[in-house]
Amino acid sequence: MSLARRTDWAEEEDDDSPQALPQQQIIKNKDGTETIITYAIREDGKKIKTTRRIKKTVIKQVVNPRVAERKHWAKFGQDKGKPDGPQTDTTSVAENIIFRPVSNWKASTEDKNEVEKKKADLKGAKIKCRICSGDHFTTKCPFKDTMAPDGEPTPAEMPDDAPQAGGAGGGSGSYVPPHLRGRGGAGEKMGGKFERDDLATLRVTNVSEFAEEQDLRDMFSRFGHVTRVFLAKDRETGRAKGFAFVSYADRTDAAKACEKMDGYGFGHLILRVEFAKKPTT
Amino acid sequence: MRPILLSGHERALTQVKYNPDGDIIFSVSKDHVVCAWFSHNGERLGTYHGHQGALWTVDVDPTSTLLATGGADNTMRLWEVKTGKLLKTWDFPTSIKRVEFSADGRQLLGVTEKRSGHLGTIVVYEIDPDPEAEQTDEQSLRIVCEDSKPTVAGFSYLAHYIISGHEDGTVSQWDAKSGELLYNAQVHEPDMLITDLQWAPDRTYFITASKDKTARISAADSLEVLKTYTTDTPLNSAAITPVKEYVILGGGQAAMDVTTTSARQGKFEARFYHKIFAEEIGRVRGHFGPLNYVAVHPQGTGYCSGGEDGYVRVHHFDKPYFDFLYEVEREQAQEQANL
Repeated sequence: MSLARRTDWAEEEDDDSPQALPQQQIIKNKDGTETIITYAIREDGKKIKTTRRIKKTVIKQVVNPRVAERKHWAKFGQDKGKPDGPQTDTTSVAENIIFRPVSNWKASTEDKNEVEKKKADLKGAKIKCRICSGDHFTTKCPFKDTMAPDGEPTPAEMPDDAPQAGGAGGGSGSYVPPHLRGRGGAGEKMGGKFERDDLATLRVTNVSEFAEEQDLRDMFSRFGHVTRVFLAKDRETGRAKGFAFVSYADRTDAAKACEKMDGYGFGHLILRVEFAKKPTT
Repeated sequence: MRPILLSGHERALTQVKYNPDGDIIFSVSKDHVVCAWFSHNGERLGTYHGHQGALWTVDVDPTSTLLATGGADNTMRLWEVKTGKLLKTWDFPTSIKRVEFSADGRQLLGVTEKRSGHLGTIVVYEIDPDPEAEQTDEQSLRIVCEDSKPTVAGFSYLAHYIISGHEDGTVSQWDAKSGELLYNAQVHEPDMLITDLQWAPDRTYFITASKDKTARISAADSLEVLKTYTTDTPLNSAAITPVKEYVILGGGQAAMDVTTTSARQGKFEARFYHKIFAEEIGRVRGHFGPLNYVAVHPQGTGYCSGGEDGYVRVHHFDKPYFDFLYEVEREQAQEQANL
């Protein structure tokens, strides 16, 4: 704003009418370019100053006299009285497009490029199963139900693997957090020692909260040799939480028990018995 | 290639056309206004006001003095290019889908829509090239198409024939003097609307675009299909480029299906095919709606496209466009240089 001489700010506010806009300035620079400064008032009442620096290049073109004549035609219709040159409201320049014809252009080269790039990225990154270290996703691993991920020894492996697992983490190279190192060796996992054959373990749910481990052992030992009974108990009240694991020495016994005991009424509830781990065959 | 974006229209473009010298582009859209633009910088020369409905078609005479338009207000109008003055209005019972001047500018053809009991017709008027003269009301020829609705039509070389494209995918050849049906050929798939018909510079052959996703070049004399260009999208327009042996095809999904797809899938690109080898050689994107019309600069230095998005994009070709040669073409050029 070129109204610096005025000192009274209140007065300035009143007199600041659109007529006070400075004239358009065109400055010819030494390097042959021109600087055009225009002022305008925006819709919200704010003054804007636009500074454009342009370089004019004269390109001579020989055209038909008819064409040359038409260039000087007066504008008409909506453009009547508008100045020469393209108007910014109707004409603009779009972003540059590179067009280069090629002989073996494939219908979806551009589409494929993006998809293939992603695929190539994935190829570079090797897929490694955390369970068996094979080249598939962990969820697709054929051993995912029988083996725990590398570095987290399965209950079944624990007694054997404990010494190695204590070190850098199972020798698989993957990082094992300190609190998991040597786990299993101390046997501090719930239920202590696990039966080796996981497939012969039943999960019993909907157990009465007054149930005792001994009750379950009595009930389930009717079908075969029970190696372990684990009844989850609340640490504070000492009452059963409502689920238990029963392990058999033999899988056929477990199957028999599962069949017979599922839906058995115990206490005031009906038991639900199923295999703790789905058999993988 | 930096396209010039012309945003003078408020609704979808229906046709864009260069005048024979290539310095002015005329555009018509559904917003009832005709615009004239200078092709070299995109400056708008003026607008032509008077139509009361969506405009479907525009054409300019060879001397760039008269402009013909047709639209959904059931009128065909003649304008003075220089001043935007309305010279003549012809009224019809149905809308005008296509207008075209003959190569000498003495005849003007109009295609009327088939609707409410009226059959599709092709009408021809004798035109006095003087803008001051009184234009005739009398139709010099009236062809009634009883079988299938004509959608596009044009005059062949020397105005020998009138060639029309129909909604059932056929192309008809009519005697331009007597209006007699000479030949009818199933050029496109049956029941696939022919959306555009554009001529080669010498008007001995033409290209038709169709909803059957192909564009075909046929000979004006025999209606024999010479070339087929197959794409993956319904086509709205096809043009033959002079100088280089290419064709430009424009299309995209129908306007009503657009909202359900992204622009990437919409295939709103101008496709360039080699005219002889019928192979795609490149695409130019930019529109975010289907391309309703593509027009080529008569000197082959550029092209412009009008889209459903309401924009006209004017392109001036770069060096790579002119330099591109097939291996065989390059060898041939080499041999000729050696001789």
